[in-house]
Amino acid sequence: MNGSGGDVLLELAWRFASLSLFAIGGINALLPEIQRIVVDVERWMSAPDFVELFALAQLAPGPNAMIVALVGWKVAGIPGALVSTAAVCGPSSVVCYLAVKGWDRMRTSKWRAIVQQALAPIAIGLVFASGYTLARTADHTPGAFVLTAIAAAAIAFTRVNPVWVLGAAALCGIAGLA
Amino acid sequence: MTAPDEAAPVSSAGREIPIPARGALLAGFLKIGLLGFGGVMPLARRVLVDERGWLTNQAFAELIGMCQVLPGPNVVNLAVIIGARYHGPLGALLALTGILFVPTIVVLLIAAFYASVAHEPAARLAVGAASAAAAGLILGTALRLAIHSRFVSRSIAIATLAFVGVAIMHWPLFWVIAVLIPVAIFLEWRAAR
Repeated sequence: MNGSGGDVLLELAWRFASLSLFAIGGINALLPEIQRIVVDVERWMSAPDFVELFALAQLAPGPNAMIVALVGWKVAGIPGALVSTAAVCGPSSVVCYLAVKGWDRMRTSKWRAIVQQALAPIAIGLVFASGYTLARTADHTPGAFVLTAIAAAAIAFTRVNPVWVLGAAALCGIAGLA
Repeated sequence: MTAPDEAAPVSSAGREIPIPARGALLAGFLKIGLLGFGGVMPLARRVLVDERGWLTNQAFAELIGMCQVLPGPNVVNLAVIIGARYHGPLGALLALTGILFVPTIVVLLIAAFYASVAHEPAARLAVGAASAAAAGLILGTALRLAIHSRFVSRSIAIATLAFVGVAIMHWPLFWVIAVLIPVAIFLEWRAAR
């Protein structure tokens, strides 16, 4: 944890608020961009630090925005966590609030289906990019690569809870298999 | 992503569906946040549709479709929409607080615990391996989304461009999205004519 001055909090708020509206497909679509900003631009932490935080965030319940809370925490403690979470959820929530009415009115419009079908592949491409970027950082050994592949297959083809997948991987790590 | 058009209008809820009090709204989303380990959506459906009866199954499916199109975490958007429907801006804020409160505390406790044991080699090995699996979770999520979507050449091209732009070329997300959204909408519009 670095200092928790007001400047850092403002920086976190601005960084995450400006990412909020690009989270097409949720926060999982933003991970390469968050890593780029946090690691390369702001130099708040190393890439392995970021991926470690991401793994820890996956253990928590609730929305996948928790990686953002952890980045804020690492940079500026608990105030950083709260500011970053609020910032990444704020603008998208306001847009969502305003969009509901228009959406209901558009129920029968062909544009609604067009927009829905246009955005879906963008979201899928971005989430693939996130997984690829995280894997490039996390997979230094053949064992780690195998764990990534097994976890991906488990999520894609079974209904197993991801928390068990992470727990099993952690045990493999302790056993020296990764 | 199917939203049958003959579904009951989602905005006219309230005839046969009870209007939740503010406290119940907060409690419902607290519960979703508290128990939603490893993916909140199945739990959100159970609480909102089966337990509380605030939404019909069909209305829930339709809202999910909308949440996926809007930016932001899907379940956070869901909280905003349902909170706002029953109690306006205050309701949206209550539902948001409910869905984010417990997870934020839990994730900070996990991180603080890890920070206190991070000097142990076993802890580093465990989290290193969990990181590799976490990357796999995201790849698996993308794979699952791809499997359940329609394969047409234009959507495969758009998804590939989004992937290459961000993952391989490392272009800023803003430009990737600013270019791809109009192109994708144009292609879908042309195909729908």
